[in-house]
Amino acid sequence: MNTLSVRAFIPPLTRRGLPLRAIRCYAVQAPGAPTMEIFSNQHKWQQRERAAANVDASRSVDYLRDEVASRLCERVLDIKRHFPHVLDLGANACNVAHALTQPSPEEPEKGPRSTRVGKITAADSSATLLHRDADLPFNNEIEIIREVLPTSELLPYQANTFDAVFSSLSLHWINDLPSVLAQVNNVLKPDSPFISVMMGGDSLYELRTSLQLAEQDRRGGVATHTSPLADVKDVGGLLQKAGFNLLTVDVDDIIVDYPDTFSLMKDLQAMGESNAVLAREKGGIQRDVLLAADAIYRELHGNEDGTLPATFRLIYMIGWKHSPEQAKPLERGTGMFSIKDYLEKNGEGGEGKN
Amino acid sequence: MPGRTRPIDKLATAVGKCSPESAVYGKCIFADYNNVHKDMCAKEFMRLKECYLKAYKTR
Repeated sequence: MNTLSVRAFIPPLTRRGLPLRAIRCYAVQAPGAPTMEIFSNQHKWQQRERAAANVDASRSVDYLRDEVASRLCERVLDIKRHFPHVLDLGANACNVAHALTQPSPEEPEKGPRSTRVGKITAADSSATLLHRDADLPFNNEIEIIREVLPTSELLPYQANTFDAVFSSLSLHWINDLPSVLAQVNNVLKPDSPFISVMMGGDSLYELRTSLQLAEQDRRGGVATHTSPLADVKDVGGLLQKAGFNLLTVDVDDIIVDYPDTFSLMKDLQAMGESNAVLAREKGGIQRDVLLAADAIYRELHGNEDGTLPATFRLIYMIGWKHSPEQAKPLERGTGMFSIKDYLEKNGEGGEGKN
Repeated sequence: MPGRTRPIDKLATAVGKCSPESAVYGKCIFADYNNVHKDMCAKEFMRLKECYLKAYKTR
């Protein structure tokens, strides 16, 4: 059957051919090993470009990224160091740089947090999103270099370039996470931290389960509507495999209440976080399923006041690049007292006493 | 987008007018959510859909 597709007449959102720089850096850990393709990079890029083109809508859904960027900056402050040159990998709309220019909510009198950071290189594959806030006043308060990456999975930087690498809410769209983490480790200077946060675990489990139940009832089967995400227990292994030392991984849940599922989906779309799994069903979700999912979400997870909670589970990770001068864990068996005794003596009456 | 209502907004307002039917359907699924099969709650769903279609058209 020869049907005339309208799609052929729509000018495609294709990227300009950006030359890959003539820097050689290793892209995969084991050469020749096939990379699992889960997400469509091209599709993700289109979604983010489209979302950022609508500036007002895109700014109105920055609540999550701004909050997470702010929490990430708090963790940066915990490291008593000055970082002359920092890479923000997957910068979105430079939310981390923006958060750095604001004072810490815990110590507002100390002034902006950016005193810790010299200049920041914000790298992202979506040019529109990256330059969305380029003429806002915060750009004058911190030195930002915006760089558009040809692909989000290849870092075109020399080894030992950066004093720290940040990454906020973008690693969950990476297909080959071990390779990207290894590249991050490569571009860091020795004894420099990689401080990052990614979506993971049970994020949006309410939406996931309601859509599954709705499709099960309406259509008799389920399709993928939410991405598979890394779990907390995977992250430690990933960082270790990429060669990071002294790992810290912790989890934080942010629960946002929405009036209905449609607002949640609209906001996700405006963030550019729509479904981009390769094995997704092409085309939208059927209306019947949407209708059913809203009813099920409300019944299964709804709050008493009629709002619907959506959980975002954030996994924060800090890893340090190896250096010979770094503090190392002590030898086994050199401990002077037993932690068990200490906890039994002090742990019981609360955490207040030391 | 000014001057144009997005279909999803129309959908959301229409569904908002059908909360009793929506609750009945939700409860039907919730009653046996470990064992959902096709058209388990078809009757309840059709009632919800009829209400929704009516609300969608009257706007």
